[in-house]
Formats: sequence, structure tokens, C-alpha cells
Amino acid sequence: MVESIVSTGLAIGCIYALIAITYNVMFSASRVFSFTAGTLGMLGGVLGSLFIARMGMPVAAGFLLALAGGAVLGIVTEIVAVRPVLKSLDQHLYVLSTLALALMIQQFTAIEWSTEPQPFPRLFDIARGGFDQQIWLPMLACAVVIVGLELLYRHTLIGHAILAIAEDNFAARALGLPERSLRVASFALAGVIGALAGFAGGEMLLAFFANAPMLTFYGFVPVALGGMGNNRGAVVAGLLLGLFQQTANFLVGGIFASVAVFTVFIIVLLVRPEGLAGVTFQRRV
Amino acid sequence: MAITRRQALASVGAAALASGLAKPAIAAKDPILIGYLPALTGPSSSTGVGINRGIQLAVQEINAAGGVDGRQLELITRDTQSDPTKAVNGAAELTHGQKVSAVFGPVNSGESLAVVPLLARANTPQIHPCWVDTLTDPKKYPMCFRNAPTNQQIGGAANHYVVDVLKRKKVAVVSDTTGYGTASVNTYVPMLKAKGADVVYQGNVDAANPDLKPELLRMQSAGAEAIMPWSVNAGFLSRIINTRGQMGWDVPIVGQTTLGSGQTQALLEKPEYWAKVYPNNFRPVCYAAGGKLSDRTNAFLDRLKSAKIDMGDTLLWWIALGYDSPRMIAEAMKNVGTEPEQIVGYLNKLKEFPGVYGDIAFTADKHDGYPDNEVVMVEANSLKDGAFNLAPGYGA
Amino acid sequence: MDTQATQLRPSRPNVLGSVSTFSATLPFLALLLVGISLPLFGGGYWGVIATRACVYWVLVSGLNLVVGFGGQIAIGWVALLTLGAYTTSVLVAGTVTPALPPYLALAIAAVVGAIFGLIIGLPALRLRTFYFAITTLGFATIVTQVALAWQSVTGGGVGVAGPIFPEPFASQWGFYYFCFGFAAICTWMTANIAASRFGRALTAIRDAEVAAEASGISKSALLGTVFLFSGAVAAVAGGLFAALQSYITPDAFTLDLSILFFIAILIGGRGSILGPLLGTILLTVLPEFAAPLVAWSTFLYAVLLLVIVLAIPGGIAEILDFKNRRPLESDRAIIPRPELLEPLLGAPPDAGALTLDEVALSFGGVRAIDGLDLEIRPGQVHGLIGPNGSGKTTTLNVISGYYAPQRGAVRLNGAALPVFARHRRAHMRIARTFQTPRIVGSASVLQNVMIGGTIDGEGTFVESLLSLPRHRRDEATLRDTAMLALAAVGLERLAPVRADRLQHSELRFTEIARALMLRPAFLLLDEPAAGLSAEEIERLGALILAIARAGTGVLVVEHHPDLIFDICHHVTVLNLGKILAAGTPAGIRAHREVVNAYLGA
Repeated sequence: MVESIVSTGLAIGCIYALIAITYNVMFSASRVFSFTAGTLGMLGGVLGSLFIARMGMPVAAGFLLALAGGAVLGIVTEIVAVRPVLKSLDQHLYVLSTLALALMIQQFTAIEWSTEPQPFPRLFDIARGGFDQQIWLPMLACAVVIVGLELLYRHTLIGHAILAIAEDNFAARALGLPERSLRVASFALAGVIGALAGFAGGEMLLAFFANAPMLTFYGFVPVALGGMGNNRGAVVAGLLLGLFQQTANFLVGGIFASVAVFTVFIIVLLVRPEGLAGVTFQRRV
Repeated sequence: MAITRRQALASVGAAALASGLAKPAIAAKDPILIGYLPALTGPSSSTGVGINRGIQLAVQEINAAGGVDGRQLELITRDTQSDPTKAVNGAAELTHGQKVSAVFGPVNSGESLAVVPLLARANTPQIHPCWVDTLTDPKKYPMCFRNAPTNQQIGGAANHYVVDVLKRKKVAVVSDTTGYGTASVNTYVPMLKAKGADVVYQGNVDAANPDLKPELLRMQSAGAEAIMPWSVNAGFLSRIINTRGQMGWDVPIVGQTTLGSGQTQALLEKPEYWAKVYPNNFRPVCYAAGGKLSDRTNAFLDRLKSAKIDMGDTLLWWIALGYDSPRMIAEAMKNVGTEPEQIVGYLNKLKEFPGVYGDIAFTADKHDGYPDNEVVMVEANSLKDGAFNLAPGYGA
Repeated sequence: MDTQATQLRPSRPNVLGSVSTFSATLPFLALLLVGISLPLFGGGYWGVIATRACVYWVLVSGLNLVVGFGGQIAIGWVALLTLGAYTTSVLVAGTVTPALPPYLALAIAAVVGAIFGLIIGLPALRLRTFYFAITTLGFATIVTQVALAWQSVTGGGVGVAGPIFPEPFASQWGFYYFCFGFAAICTWMTANIAASRFGRALTAIRDAEVAAEASGISKSALLGTVFLFSGAVAAVAGGLFAALQSYITPDAFTLDLSILFFIAILIGGRGSILGPLLGTILLTVLPEFAAPLVAWSTFLYAVLLLVIVLAIPGGIAEILDFKNRRPLESDRAIIPRPELLEPLLGAPPDAGALTLDEVALSFGGVRAIDGLDLEIRPGQVHGLIGPNGSGKTTTLNVISGYYAPQRGAVRLNGAALPVFARHRRAHMRIARTFQTPRIVGSASVLQNVMIGGTIDGEGTFVESLLSLPRHRRDEATLRDTAMLALAAVGLERLAPVRADRLQHSELRFTEIARALMLRPAFLLLDEPAAGLSAEEIERLGALILAIARAGTGVLVVEHHPDLIFDICHHVTVLNLGKILAAGTPAGIRAHREVVNAYLGA
């Protein structure tokens, strides 16, 4: 019982953490939160099921195509919903534009793909049970992304450039860094991470359009609690969220579990709006 | 005589009202309009999609055979999208706008609850296949009929199978967090207890929860000897079946008809997990003891095959129910015409309408037309050509 | 003061010609007429759709104040519709309490809605935009889940019957008129608020929060009031919704509905009443025109939203804003009329001096201000200059209350100013302008200046809601005073123009006009000459001197040394947070260190 709660909690926590990282990567590149993060997760599962199960491609090909799909959506988000509103004086239009884009994609998926959850293929032909691939695939994906991002940001030139743009936009531009291309690249990267989350979690969550709003919310909780832009905080918070949710599901049942998660989230946020690990920052005038 | 402006306005107003109220004169060859409120899209659309295939086929056949008294049937469809607000809008259009002679649907209970009063106010006969018990009330809604079983009948059959046939006394009842799921659990648990069963587990689980193992472990440690899930969500039902299989726990799963649908089957991890799963279904569309279907059902399957209607992702009885409904309405109209009171009068005396899905009968006091004894339990993994075998030991 | 103000009201025609109030109300009258006469030409079907549009508008009108005017991204407002619907239905059904008459149940639902509107809205005061948006979604889900779980009260999944209102509202058309009546009242009330100091203050919070604070507007008090109102009407809409549906189940309160409400406001245009009204009607009616459209309706709403955000952020309201399409004169000059300052500002204040005593403030390891002494006396202009990063704006911000000094204090007449109580500064008649003009772009210049006089209004929110006499008096007085202020700074001909059409220099003078509305004892100007032409700087200087002569103590932070030397009585030069020199302009000009560090040879 406990073992099941813990393993599923950690696995699903890794998915939430990956979506949180998706939010963070987009935020780092543009100082904007995008509603499309959860939709990327959903698409990872749907595209994986489409390519491998429905169209019969080999697993590796389907995997790469699903990630490519995520990258494309990330880039589309940047071009359509983020870039045009960054220029405007009104800081909050991005909430609306990314919300609109996310809704469009969700509705389209619901109508064209299916309103019911569809099966996601078994990726590796290993027997079930024990430490099943449903459990370790999301964990592996999460570990790969964390290590990969660390290497990217600390040890490559492009990673340094992305960090520079995030930290001090004007100075970076003054140094001649191609801000726009780097931002597009960041959003593509975020798209890949989101799609990876959905793909790795596909067997557990199934290919279902309604995963999008669910992941939008549950993927944001670690961002809020871990401090915006803070990937390590997001991972810890994501794992804790997964464990909390599964425990609550078990202790108080389905309806009250979601109420419990929302309530705890809202209370924590009210007590510490910058997140448990975040930093208060103000210069408004 | 000079007419004052007020008189003129009043007469214009009266004329406008009168023309709105007067029944349009129906030319002899005008089509008969039948309103149809399925949920073809949205979260609870699997039933609607299945029923729709049957309805379309039936209407085509009736019209090909000359229609009703030479008049073609025209189905006016308004997709409710599984949303009660859209169902109300749709019902308003069908009655006030299109002025249909009768309405079939909605097919989901939440939508029907909102639509029944509206159709009653619009004096329009309604036939619907929803299960929630309170959806018929011959006194309050004399024009509303149900050509499907009630929740009581469904639960009764399932409970009877678990307690009386399989002789399991300790039962786990589980549903998802939808309206239908929670309402079912609330109805069925007292019924089980009244039969002397011991409900050792009762719970509502979030259908999106990917891991149901803790729930099943709880059921197991409470000593459950049977699991009864009530949900139309194929993902949820498949997770229960899969988890039972993973645990190697040998208990029967008895419950909602969707346990046997093609959608649920597609989501199973191993085909053998589908053993000892007994969804409810309906005798006329099941294989009898000798592995044979009734002649009526065989003929129906032939028609489906020649119309190239796919059954693999849905349930035969949905299609059959859809098929029967416009035929019943057409039958009524053939006999008594299209006036609402006449149709209702005819239905109130309907002794036995020979449907593929079941023989429907109504009286003035009973608007639930499906016979108790045709609600049966079947074996999920005996699915062949859309029909199932009766569940073992099902002698009643 | 009133008589003088009205006498001195400029009679020159304004730039866009006169704006008739009748033309503003014409669309509403047209809708009223169409709505009242609907039974004559529409059948029962359109009656249901129109009733639904009215019910939705009752909710959207309140939400409009929160989202459109206040700029709070409350996406999950369907939670209040659910609450109102269930409260009304359960009270009328008599399952928990004895059965109540429907009107009383509706009133109780309104109270419940107000309370929960406040609860759901309060996080807006603590959280950033996106976070708040997500919490409202969370609330919407919680309310639906509770409705599902609390079976003894709400009937759980099976739901509960909706209320039936007594005759004459029981029939279909009777109920339509009932809902239409509510819709009309809500339109009237929210239009009153829009044209009141509360509506303008909301737009200030939305687009120029620091300016709102500086004008004395308390964000928490205002938003709290608006959440109460918005929650109440949303709950009333819920009760009407339950009656329209005849029966409610939790699955009727979908997220799609919440999105519809929200998008109706954005499509309609923020800061408008007519726009969201048309938006609501559009989004309710649109799916009815084509059956295949129904499945795609949410997709289409999302597309509309994206198009609006990218192409026409002002929405339908911007499309309908004909008067702001007329071109403006190209050679506009700003010619202040300092003689109007005396009637505007009134008698000189008898405040003492505003002093900084040994104020020190560090950010991390950086000493932004290190032991600063400053004295601003009424009637005098004090200049603060120094290179970039010397602490000039930080000083202003300390006085305004953005930062608490780590050492020393800011004193007014000897008493230390409360730290962080930014919006109290206005009550102490300390006004300021900002380095970048903080203006509500979509409002007119006049409305922007009227924001400065918000705290002078005496009418309460309810009085504005119902357009009672005190509200109308407030508005007339504010309008006259604002016109006077605009005339004083030389911008009265641009009064009705939308502020985002103005040139940069005009915006700076607008900010000064707004600050003058407070009849300030002390005026803090943050680089007022930046971006001005030489002529404009001269006029600015004359204006500042005139303001000081009227009795106000002025602190000017500037980069233009000529302006400072021309108009200031005292000058303080900062460098690296410390005072490099202080004294008269002549003395400073000759000061060797200042010349070296800052002025050049």
C-alpha cells in the first residue's frame, strides 16, 4: 500500500516537475508564464499514441516526432502568443494570449483526436509489475532533463547566453546577444521538455485531451511553491505534490483529495506569495 | 371609425401573437420533424455516439420504405455536447423554433433533468433512454417516457447477480467523481444492504487518478469478495480491471455496462484481464444458452453489416436502442397521427413494442418501459460481433 | 472655490468637438428597446436564448468591474454562479432549511455570493497576475467538487430542482422580463460605477498602480468592495440560471462557461460597459446560428480572444470608439496658465517643512543613500541633482513610502511619516509625478486627471452604484476641478482625448495636473523635463515657480542643470548617495567638486 502510494506519487510528481520546468524555461526566456505548458504535456501523450499506436511507427521514431511536435508548439507559442505582447505596454496580455492558444489546441485535440482517453502504447516489451516502466520512465525523464539543463546552462555558450538574457535583458542585448533567436530556442526547448513529460507519463495518464487543464494546474503548483524560475525548487515541490496528492487520494478519497490539494496550494501561496524557496524582488518605481 | 393608435398597436400585437400560437397547417407531404438531442461530443459522448448509429439507420430504413403515411421522417439533431445548458438551448429550438412533433433524448441524465420540464411546458412528447430514477413522473410529466431501464433495475440486476448468484456477501462499491457515478453509488449501496450484503468498501475515486492500487488494496484488506464499479469512463474502468490483474486478485468485477465496451477493451494491458468481468447488458442482444442470438437480433446484425456500421468501439445495445426509438415513434404516428395528445395516449396503452433492444410497454401510471427480466449480466470477454454470452450461473 | 472654478472654466472649444452624452446612451437605449419588444418578433426559442444572455450578463456586468476595470484575471468566476444557483435552489426546495420564498432565497444567495466573492478575490491582493488566475481556477474546481460531495444538501450527482419564481414571472416570457429587468439594472449600476471615481480608480489600479497609490487609492479597499459587489451579482445570476435550467447538476457548471464569461469581457474591451455587453450577447447567440458550430464554440471563443489580444486589444469598445479616431491637431502647444493655480490650489497650506534627517538606505551591499539631510519648505523649490545612480529617485521613493530608511527618518512637520503606507501620502497632501509617466492609456486625459482627485469624493460606493445626489455632486465638482487643473497646465483642449494618443511632453504635464488635484502641500517631481523641448522646459519652469508661489513646497529631481538653476531656491547635489554640495544655485554652480563630478568645465 505505502509502496504503491510512494512509487506512483514520485512518478507522477516527476511529471508535474517536468511541466513545472517547462513553465520555468519559458519564464526564464521571456519573464512570462504561458498557459501552454500543460497543453504540451498533453500533446506528448497524444502524439505518442498517434504515431506509435495508431500509425504504427517504431517507438524511437514516434518518440522523436512527438518531441519535435512539442518543439513546434513551443515555437508557435513564442511567435503567436508571446512575442507580440512583449512589446505592448500592458504587461498582462500574455496571460490571455497563451490562454487562448492553449484552449484552441485543447479543443482541437478533443474534437479531432477524441474526447475519451485513448491507449498509450507500451514502450518497452518488458513484463509488468514491480518497478514498472510506468513508474521509472517519468523518473528517468526528469533526471535526464535536470542533468541536461544543468549541463546546458553551466557548460555551453548557448546556455550562458540564455541565462544572460533571462537575468538582465538590456545588458545582454547591449552585448549583442541575439535575444529573439535565443528566446525562440528556449521556447522550443521548453516544448521538448513538456512533450517529454507527456510521453514518459503516457502509459500512466493515457492519451487524453483533458490532461491539459489538469497538468496546467498541477504543473504550476511546483512553480508557485518552488519559486518562479527556480528549477530545483520546482522538482522538490513537484515530488512533494505527487506524494501529497496520492496520499490524500488514499486517505480522503477522490473528491476531497483535489479539494485538499487546491486548499493547501492557495494557503501556502497566501502565506508566502513568492513561494517557499523564492526571493522577494521589487523595484516598481 | 377612427382607430386609435393604441387599438392599432393592440391588433397588430394580437395578430402577431395569434400567428405564433396557431398551429401551422401541415401539408400532406411535409416531412414529420422529430427532435433529437444526443451528446455527440464532449466528455460523456460514448453513449450518444453509439445510439446515433442506430437512429440514423432506422430513419433511413423508415424513409426508404415510404415514411409514415407517405411523409418522410426528418431528424433534427442538436448536439448537446454533454452540457445541460446546451441541452436546454437545443430543446428550446426544437420545440419553439422547429416545432417538432416529438423529441428523442437527451441521452445523459444531467441533461435530461434540465430538459424534461422544458419539453413538458412545450407540450411535446418525449422519449429518453436515461437511467436516473427520477426522470419519469407520470403525474408531473405525463408526456415523458423512458424506453430504457431505470437505475433501480440496473442496480437490482447487478446486485442480484453478486449476492444471489455468485453468493458473495462482502462487496466493494466504487465509482468515479461524476454525477452519474456518485448518484449510482448512493442508490445501490442501500439496495445491497437491503439484500443482506455487507458493503465493506464504498468510495468515489477521481477518474484521472492513474494509480488505483491503493484503492484495490484497501478493498482487499477489507475482505471484499466482489468489486462493483459504476462509471461510464472507460479509462477509469480499465484501470480497475488492470490493477486487479496486476495484483493477481481473483474476484469478480460486476457493474456498469461500459465494462464491456470496445473502448474499455482497448485500454486493457492484457486480454486475459478481461476474464471474470460481468457488465450489465440486455437479453435480447445477447447470445442465449446455445450460443445463438434471437432471429430479430440476427436480422438486425445483418442490416448493420450491410450498412457497414462499425461496432468495434461501442456497444451493440446502444446501437439497438437507437434503432428502436424512432421506429417506436413512427409506429405511434402511423396509428394515431402526430398530435401530441394522441401520441401520448397511444404510448400509454403500448402493450409490447417489439424492439431489437427489448420489448417496451407503458401504462398511464408507468412510464418506465423496459421489462425487469431483460436486464441481465454478461461475460465481458465473450464479446463477438458486438454481442455477449450471458454470465455464468445466470439462470434467473 | 466652486464658483471661481466654474467662472474660470475655459470656453475654448476642445480638440475633438463636443461629446454628447446622448450619443453615449443611444446604444443602450436601442438594446433596451429591442429587449423589451422581443416577444413581438422572436419566438419562444429566441426567448430562451435571450433570457440566457440576460442571466449571463448579470454575472458578466459584475465581473467586468473586476476584470475589465480592475484588471484582475479572475478566470474561475463560475464558482460564484454555482454557489448562487445551489443556494437559491436549496433554500427554495426546503431540504435543509424550511422552504423560503424565491425572492428571499435570491437575496440570501446574493449575500453568500458577496462573501465568497471576497474570499475568492482576496488572493489578488497578495499574488501576481498569473498566480491569481490559477487560484481562481482552483476555486472553481473546489466549488464543483463540494457540490458533488455534499450530497445531503446539494443532491450530489443527481442535483436539485431550480427555483420557480411566482407569477407574473413563472411563464416563459414573464421570466424573460424578470431576467431582463435584472440585466437592465446591472447595466445601469455598473455604468454608474464606470463614470464614478471608483471606476476610474479601478482603471488606475489596473494600468498605473503606482500612480493610483500616489493618488491615495487603497487597492485593498477598492478591490474588496468590487469583489463583494461582483460576487453578489454573480450569485443572483446563479439563482436565475437555476430557474432557467429548471434543474441543476454539477456538470452544468463547466469551465467552458467560466471561459465564456471571461472572454466576453476581453472581446468587449476593458474599461467599457457596452463592449462586454455586446460581447456577452455575441458569445451566447453565436453558437445558435449553426448547429455544427456548437462543438467548436469554445475553440472559436479562443480564436476570437487571440485575435482580439493581438490585433485589437481594446476589443469591440475600441472598434466603436469613433470619437477617438478623429485626427488631432499636429502643432499643439502646451501653454500653462499659472493664474489659474490660485483658485485651483486654494489657500496656502500651513504645513511645516518636509525633512529628511540622516536618512540611510542600502540595497544589499550597495549604499543607495548614505546620511542624507534634506529640507523642503512650503513655497520654495528645492532641486535635487546628481549623476545617474546617485540616489535621486531612491530619495523620492523613500519619501513616497516605497522604502523604509534603515537609519534616520522622513518627517513632516516634525512627525515621522509612516513607512510603506504609500496611499496615505495623498491624504497628507504629498503628491508626486514619475520618471516614466504612469497614465491610464485607454482613458481620456480628463479622466486621468480626475483620478488625482479621488480621495476628495464623499459619496460611497453604493451611492455611486445608484447614482444618488451626493455622487452626482462629487462628479460635477471633480470634473470642474480637473478641467481647471488641465487649464492651469495648458492642456484643457485635449481633455476628451484618449491619453495614449498624447505626445510624451503632454503626458508629463498631465501627470502634473493630476498631482495638483491633491492641492498638495508638497509636490515631488521626478525628472519632469525629460523629453521636453527647450520651449516646453521654459514653460515648465514657469509653472513650477507659480506652483511654489501658491504655497506648495516643490522637490524637483532633474538632469537638466539649466532648469534647476533657473527655478530653484535651494539645490542639493548627490553623488554616490551622499551630499556632495548643498546651497543656492549660484553657490552650487561655482562649487569646484560639483563642477568636476557632474557639470563639466
